[in-house]
Amino acid sequence: MAVKSIAQKKSMTMGSRGLARQGWVTGVMMVLPYTLFFLLFSLFPILYGLRVSFYDWSLLGDKEFIGFLNYTTLLQDEEFRDNLLHTVLFTLVSVPLICGVGLLLAVLIHGIRRGQAFFRAAVFMPYVLSVSVISSIWVIFLQPYSGLFNQILRTLGIINSEIFWLSEPMLAWASIIMSTIWWTVGFVFVLFLAGLQDIPASFYEAGQIEGANRWQTFWHITFPSLSRITILVVVLQTIASFKIFGQSKLITGGGPAGATKTVVFSIYENGFQTFQMGYASAIAFVLMIVILVISVLQTLILRKFES
Amino acid sequence: MTTMNRAYMYVSRIVALLLAVFFLIPIVWMLLLSFTPEGQPIFGGGFHFSFANYAKVLSQAPIFGWMGNSLIVSVITTAMVLLLSSMAAYAFSRIRFPGSKVLFFLFLSAMMIPAEATLIPLYLFMRDIGLLGTRTSLILPAVAGPMGIFIMKQFFDGLPKDLEEAARIDGAGFFKIWYRIFLPLSRPALAALGIFTFIGAWNDYVWPLISISDKAFMTITLGLPMFQSSYVQQYALPMTANALAAVPVLLIFLLFQKQIIKGIAFTGGKEM
Repeated sequence: MAVKSIAQKKSMTMGSRGLARQGWVTGVMMVLPYTLFFLLFSLFPILYGLRVSFYDWSLLGDKEFIGFLNYTTLLQDEEFRDNLLHTVLFTLVSVPLICGVGLLLAVLIHGIRRGQAFFRAAVFMPYVLSVSVISSIWVIFLQPYSGLFNQILRTLGIINSEIFWLSEPMLAWASIIMSTIWWTVGFVFVLFLAGLQDIPASFYEAGQIEGANRWQTFWHITFPSLSRITILVVVLQTIASFKIFGQSKLITGGGPAGATKTVVFSIYENGFQTFQMGYASAIAFVLMIVILVISVLQTLILRKFES
Repeated sequence: MTTMNRAYMYVSRIVALLLAVFFLIPIVWMLLLSFTPEGQPIFGGGFHFSFANYAKVLSQAPIFGWMGNSLIVSVITTAMVLLLSSMAAYAFSRIRFPGSKVLFFLFLSAMMIPAEATLIPLYLFMRDIGLLGTRTSLILPAVAGPMGIFIMKQFFDGLPKDLEEAARIDGAGFFKIWYRIFLPLSRPALAALGIFTFIGAWNDYVWPLISISDKAFMTITLGLPMFQSSYVQQYALPMTANALAAVPVLLIFLLFQKQIIKGIAFTGGKEM
């Protein structure tokens, strides 16, 4: 009996040492498949792109090293500057709108007990559609004469002559922003709704005891409890807004007269319409750096906030 | 106070109802237009309900073929992401091996890099290896995204340590513990990640736009606008094409609503 237990112990320690060695190998083996994908289709393209950005690189692969010329050209490229400005403005307008509307919807629908599932589904539904579908729906929706949107506004007495939504720069942007809110606010809304459901009831009871009204409750209890999720939502939206392309390509075609072109639009046009691969890569790197800066700022703010 | 509360309840219900209508109008209108022949009013002058638009669209464009391509790409992408990233995430969470910290940090940093930034090199690379324009070229870069590793590792880290002790004493290796114990336990996380990956792959637009030029390999997201661009000042057929592309997705959404919404909330809450 005693001998057996010693033997058992021995085999167990042997076993665990064996396991540790096996673990080493198993660990590497388990990480390997993904790592190969990562190296080939994530890391390598980034380095390749960096290299291309220092060349005058044609579609067919004729290349000439030109140092920082693509980047210095970029500084004087008025079209790129315009597109960057459009993107920044779109981000500045759409992020607060989407986050604000998402929060409002979440608070409103969180307070509804009966039929909450219906409202939740209605608001979230557009999010599962693809950019092609929503763009086409909105283009037809916004048609000056046959579109439903103008008809609704007319019936409500808000307008008395047709609005040409897609032929004026400001209106074209308004159209893109409206459709983007309609399409993506459901995502933000669901995150806020989950955040609201996580706030302990005792927080609200404390507020009730002190006789806080609805607004005070929201401002001093609800909103601070959502701060972590708010930062997350703002950052995700900022990054997503900066990468806007599909709506601009499909709803307005970048028009009128290039007024709704964006940074990714610049990459697309320079890379795949005039085939300046080097120049387009330089734009892509600028985009990447802007997004990296936003992400790093997010991490810093969060750390400060959590400590 | 109670009357105030009751008033608030009523007002918020009415506002929510109006908003829900606003959100549903474009979708309902899409469906109504798709059943109405071109040039006919939707309401008034009798009801012109017919499937003629659907028959026309299906005879003019390979909508089902495009949806099939989207389905193939999205399903394979999702399956591979779930398999590879949960496997790697398990190793990062439970096994000590040299370089694991550095590697994980590398993956984590790559999460900040937008896919749009690597369009050009990816195009050149795919052409060099002869995959440009294939459905495979849509799957490979999507599998290389590190988001899944991060989500799964967060989930595995939250599982109790003594979970695998018993299995280890019984002599089970790490690999066995992963698929026998961890995978079955991580169904909610896998569902969330799977939903995210699937929606992302199905809706991807920029990379297919650049990579795919052969009509036969197009995904629905890409084929749809191409088909619609041949119709000017005509709305019934483009809207019908939208409906064809949207209805399966909307049905899946309505069926799995709870899981999808939970999944999104889960990833959002755990993402940091």
